[in-house]
Amino acid sequence: MNKKFAFLALVLVIALSLAAAAPAVRAQDKIQLRLLGWSGSDAENKALNQVVADFNASQTEIEAKFEPVPDYDTVLQNALVGGDVPDVFYVSVQNFPTFVRDEVLMPYGDKLDNVEDFYPALRDSFSANDMLYCAPKDFSVLALQINTEMFEKAGLKPPTTWDEMKAAAKALATDSVAGFVLNPSLDRFAAFFYAAGGDITNADKTEMAVNSAENMAALEFLNSLYSEGLAKTTADANAGWGGEALGKGLAAMVMEGNWVEGFMKDSYPDVKYQTVELPAGPTGAKGSLAFTVCYGVAKNAKNPEASIKFINYLVGPDGMKTWTDGTGVLPSRMSLAEGFIKQFPEREVYLKSAEFAHGWGFAPGFNQVETKANEQLQLLIAGQATIEDALKEIESVGNTVLAEANK
Amino acid sequence: MTAPSVTMKRASEDTARAKNMQEALAGYGFISPALAVIVVFIFVPMIFAFIISFTDWTGLKPVNEAQWNNFDNYRKLLFEDHPNRDDFSRALKNTAYYALGVVPTQTALSLLLAVIVNQKFLRFRGFFRTAFYFPSITSAVVIGTIFLWLFNRDGIINRLLIGISGGSYRPVTWLNDLNGVIHNVFKVFGLTLQTAPPWMRQTEIFGQSIWQWLSGPSVSMLAIMILAIWTTSGTLMLIFLAALQDIPTQLYEAASVDGANRWQQFRRVTLPLLRPTTFFVVTIGLIGTFQVFDQIYVISSGAPAGTTVTIAYLVYTTSRGAASQSAATAFMLFVIIMFFTLIQRRLMGSRSW
Amino acid sequence: MTATTAAGSANTTTNLRTSSEVFKKVRIALTYGFLLLFGLAMVMPFIYSVANSFKTLPDINANPSLLYPTQGVSVEGYRKVFTQDFPRWLLNSIGMSVTLTITHLVFDSLAGYALARIKFPGRGIAFTALIGTMMVPGIVLLVPRFLVLKQLGLIGTYWGLILPAMTGAFGVFLMKQFFESIPPDIEEAASIDGCGRFRMFFVVILPLAIPALTALAIFSFQGSWNDLTGPLITVVNNRDLWTLQLGLALVRGETGSALPWDILLSGAVITTLPMAVIFFVFQRFFMESATYTAVKG
Repeated sequence: MNKKFAFLALVLVIALSLAAAAPAVRAQDKIQLRLLGWSGSDAENKALNQVVADFNASQTEIEAKFEPVPDYDTVLQNALVGGDVPDVFYVSVQNFPTFVRDEVLMPYGDKLDNVEDFYPALRDSFSANDMLYCAPKDFSVLALQINTEMFEKAGLKPPTTWDEMKAAAKALATDSVAGFVLNPSLDRFAAFFYAAGGDITNADKTEMAVNSAENMAALEFLNSLYSEGLAKTTADANAGWGGEALGKGLAAMVMEGNWVEGFMKDSYPDVKYQTVELPAGPTGAKGSLAFTVCYGVAKNAKNPEASIKFINYLVGPDGMKTWTDGTGVLPSRMSLAEGFIKQFPEREVYLKSAEFAHGWGFAPGFNQVETKANEQLQLLIAGQATIEDALKEIESVGNTVLAEANK
Repeated sequence: MTAPSVTMKRASEDTARAKNMQEALAGYGFISPALAVIVVFIFVPMIFAFIISFTDWTGLKPVNEAQWNNFDNYRKLLFEDHPNRDDFSRALKNTAYYALGVVPTQTALSLLLAVIVNQKFLRFRGFFRTAFYFPSITSAVVIGTIFLWLFNRDGIINRLLIGISGGSYRPVTWLNDLNGVIHNVFKVFGLTLQTAPPWMRQTEIFGQSIWQWLSGPSVSMLAIMILAIWTTSGTLMLIFLAALQDIPTQLYEAASVDGANRWQQFRRVTLPLLRPTTFFVVTIGLIGTFQVFDQIYVISSGAPAGTTVTIAYLVYTTSRGAASQSAATAFMLFVIIMFFTLIQRRLMGSRSW
Repeated sequence: MTATTAAGSANTTTNLRTSSEVFKKVRIALTYGFLLLFGLAMVMPFIYSVANSFKTLPDINANPSLLYPTQGVSVEGYRKVFTQDFPRWLLNSIGMSVTLTITHLVFDSLAGYALARIKFPGRGIAFTALIGTMMVPGIVLLVPRFLVLKQLGLIGTYWGLILPAMTGAFGVFLMKQFFESIPPDIEEAASIDGCGRFRMFFVVILPLAIPALTALAIFSFQGSWNDLTGPLITVVNNRDLWTLQLGLALVRGETGSALPWDILLSGAVITTLPMAVIFFVFQRFFMESATYTAVKG
């Protein structure tokens, strides 16, 4: 009995001491800044930590910390509503309209150094109500990565049209290698929509324009790749994502953004691959997608001045250079483009693709449309939906959401 | 009645009243800590949720800036041809198939195991009980992680199946296969989306076409169902085992004297006497399966193509950016669970609470 | 079988007996075969996980179904796990589960006793309200509980993990059922001795309740140790307060590339180990606890 009580007492002591220790007190002489973001590849985490360390070294009164988190949307929403607001946080271009509608962000564009230097298209992406809300962190553009070794062995040239692409996939696909690895989702397939001359919404994003003959042609082409076994999803190719499929030699072609460059250098330095523009559509039109993220500051931020100072370093010439060098994403400042291309000539293709790339980001609540569209596209390539039904469904869900957004 | 006895009675009434008072105070003292926690962290949030479900709160703005929008959330969820209703009806379908697959299987399996383990001649009974029960003590996260690995395309399950079939088995991408199990059966008989009659594809009932309603759980959901059955059968077996051991042996002896063979004994003696336990196991099974969340969160996050989105998981995903819709969905789930609980109470009568 | 060279009738009996014994042997063999197969199915996933957690990542990917490493024993997974925040999460899990077990023991038995034995106005309502909460799926409270915790300033704090889970209808119900089974004369005798309710409860009743309390302790510990939604609601944005469950569920999303199976399997082993040790030490109680509710309920 005594032993039991001794055990119980011990347990109690442990529990209480843990409880006491848990809300640990930090010595705070400096202003502590938290940068909340999602974690990309190891290369990305490493590069951003480097930028943050450089910033900290230059400061006497501010100390910033990068916190990459999984399940980012949940964590960010909890933080915003729960009052534990991070000083700076990633805002994807998808979420930007929603955040503006819900008045989450503090527009600080006028306090940025050398604003005119950001690409106009990127500024537009993060502007609303005639204000630039937040600084574009960088941008990424989709292109086609091909396994050079496989192509050379088969005597093939990089494809420039859909027909050539299909022919190459046919020539290179084997039991263990997929001709093309791509997951069906709207933010990939749309590149083919644009190349076919199609669109997702009308110009002012008030109505859907996805159910068109052009998009139908694009889906027919893509669907034929999957149904003929020339294209595979990452799961079917046994890879985590396109970059891994390319690195492991499981795919002859993948379609990724420039983030794949840092990953390949880091994880598969010996794999020979080449990045080319996405093949042109039936009419010769080119299409690609550009994605961007900005550094958001909350409306009720605790340290707005320090945060903006920090951001000005992150998107300033030095910070941005360290970041883009380490990851392969593209600098959002025009003045850095030249030096970037000189240093990474193989990445020029992304900048060139940006010229015909379409921006992402539509309306508040559009995530629901993207989710629905992704599901329809997955059903389509599994033979559980027809092209007509899929496009009709996306169009109808999209129109409902857009109507509510514009109410 | 004489005077002294009246005073005595009054005195005893007073003491009785004082005692009752004391009792009541003690009662409140004993129950208040538990009640306080439950009121603050369950009742108040429930009321909050109910209120939120009638607003347009998205979850990002401060909640006091939300506007009333009457029954909009419920209308979009139940009565209008709206994407929210499509999502809800699909989640309902996924959850129902999940429950329909898991509950009967785990009940039958655990009963079978209990009957086998209960046999008199059996040795190492303790060992088997331990082995069967062990999965129950681990968490959904751990088991989910392990299953994610086992059911990998290049994982042990597929390797095992290839080995058993001598190579004729074409590996299934278990966790990324959106094809419905019943659809797959249809396919064997030549019935696919392309060959299905138009009434099947075009008649929509509550947000899904008949063809979609008939999908069955997707292959990915099937893997998660296997996990659920695998985890819970051990606990349920113990419940059946305890009930079996309560059955007096004389009943079997009497049946045996009457010439009943083992199967007849099982049918005539065991099953009827196990009926209350079976009801219990089935209803807690239903209540549990309709709440399934952890496994989905860990294993599939609702993928592929939303075929593993359950109602609870839909509540979770919509809580980001559509919090009021999430609250309305949560209430529908609450109503469903309440329904099962009431059935349980009705069927089990006084034996339960 | 002894050979009987007697009349024909005896012979047939022998044959009958032989066939029934053969039948019995087949049945026994089938029974053991089935149980063994099933036992393997239950246990092998864990054995595979433990075995593979001691392999290198390429080895795991190449030969998952081998129970021994082909590239030498590797503790790389465990090393990575320990340089992650797993030790911290382990402490959080222990702290949370132990604290919650204690609060459950106290609060649940107090409330259970009141509901079982003390007559007070509103008892029926209190009981119905309590039992009613068993119908509330945890996920239903996702958003509103978050708001309540936020109002109380408990988001991302240790107390936010503890306070909402300190008691539960299930435990109260379990204890109520138990206290109702104690013969009332024990209390009457104590009450004649002038023993008040509080003293009676702690001195007379609780010692009798050790079996029920054991069951309750096991349930509470297991429940809090394995809980995902509670920590997910409360501390997802404070990595320092993640529990093992939350850490294991989320750490996967922290690497951009392929799933790091060495980390995940080692993490799964670490997450299960404390529970498994407790299980094997207190095995008998676990089995009893599992059936306790069903039989008493």
